[in-house]
Amino acid sequence: MTSDVTFEQAEAELRMIVERLESGDVAIDEAIALWERGEALYVICRERLDAAEGKVEELTERVQAAKPSA
Amino acid sequence: MPGTTWAYDLVVAKVEAIEYGDRKVFSVAAFNRGLADWLGRLPTVWVEGEITELRRQERWQTVFFTLKDKDGGACVEAALPRRRFDALGLDLTNGERVHVYGRPEVWPQKGELRLQVLSIERFGLGAHLAALEQLKQKLAAEGLFAAERKRALPRLPRRIGLVTGNDAAAKRDVIASVTSRFPPAQLLVAETRVQGHRAAVDIAAALRAVATQPSVDVIVLARGGGSFEDLLPFSDERLVRAVVDCPVPVVSAVGHEQDTPLCDLAADARASTPTAAARLVVPDLAELTATLERRREALRRSGRAVLDRQRDRLERETDRLRRGGRLLLERRRNALEHCAGRLRTLSPRATLTRGYAIVRLSDAVVRSATALAIDDHVDVELAEGRFAGRVEEVGP
Repeated sequence: MTSDVTFEQAEAELRMIVERLESGDVAIDEAIALWERGEALYVICRERLDAAEGKVEELTERVQAAKPSA
Repeated sequence: MPGTTWAYDLVVAKVEAIEYGDRKVFSVAAFNRGLADWLGRLPTVWVEGEITELRRQERWQTVFFTLKDKDGGACVEAALPRRRFDALGLDLTNGERVHVYGRPEVWPQKGELRLQVLSIERFGLGAHLAALEQLKQKLAAEGLFAAERKRALPRLPRRIGLVTGNDAAAKRDVIASVTSRFPPAQLLVAETRVQGHRAAVDIAAALRAVATQPSVDVIVLARGGGSFEDLLPFSDERLVRAVVDCPVPVVSAVGHEQDTPLCDLAADARASTPTAAARLVVPDLAELTATLERRREALRRSGRAVLDRQRDRLERETDRLRRGGRLLLERRRNALEHCAGRLRTLSPRATLTRGYAIVRLSDAVVRSATALAIDDHVDVELAEGRFAGRVEEVGP
């Protein structure tokens, strides 16, 4: 699982996996493998979102600290 | 009236000479009489001139005046009976131009020549008007009065030239009007004669002189009301051209509302009163100050308003930026969770937790009992853990 995959790439793959599973035309072993891959992609996406949100909060706080008191 | 010989009759007398040897000698009275007699044979003529030193008194039988050339100043004494003078009904005054019909006459007692007047006609108005109209047409044809020639007056002249008569009330009035409107106004006054035959040339010279003074941005040409003749210099071609050629704008404040001397037409602006002239050349200081103050206040207010508006907008944009960032993440998170939810529903493990099992024979998933034979070893996978088994029976 490469860590330099972007959120968008990971999410797109996850969506594709879900769609394949939903189609029902997947052998059980492949389904299991797909499912495991999907779970891993989900974790990656979560991590990316958490990091992004952290950055937004940090920036907001920094800007508010720098703002002169009116 | 012409041809009346009353004056002549009075002096007709016999001219007798005294003889000394071969020399004929006359007495003074005889000489005068002879002269009068001879002059009396001259025809009656029209003479044009200006009336000066008009002497008319109720107790005098005769009215006297001096007839004078406007240019050059040549004079001749003139006289006519008071009743005749009064009958003319001309109400003449000194300075008026007239045509006098009469003939030369010698006053026998003094030997003085005078013009015996038979009739007087006021001259000038008609002839002058026609000449004036002709000049006006000519100058207009040259485009000297054209609207596009008019220059804009300065809003705030550094110095105002004033060309006016040396004793004119016009001068006082213009100065008073200008300084009351705009106390710091600087005036440069050129006094000149504004009447008489040299007036036009003098005024034109004064105009040129003032125009070349430093910082003079506008010139007011002022003259109070007067008779038609008084205002004639202001219609003189030389002055009109001087106004046209003046390097700075000229305001003409000559005469009253009803007078339109040609310099009015040539000037860049026309004022019918000194007050009107002042209004044209200087702003009202009090009004100007008030306007400036209002503008300054408006500027301050609008400057502040612009700043406030920009600050508000910036705040709103920043808010949107922050909320936008969070909103985007929120949406992504929701989409992700939704996707993960679907993934889990489809998970084979989820199926197993409901009590299903996966049966494998030699690592291949068994989908049909026909794939199995008795005693085959199978792997069974459950939601939690797995076990191995042997096939004992195979059903349809």
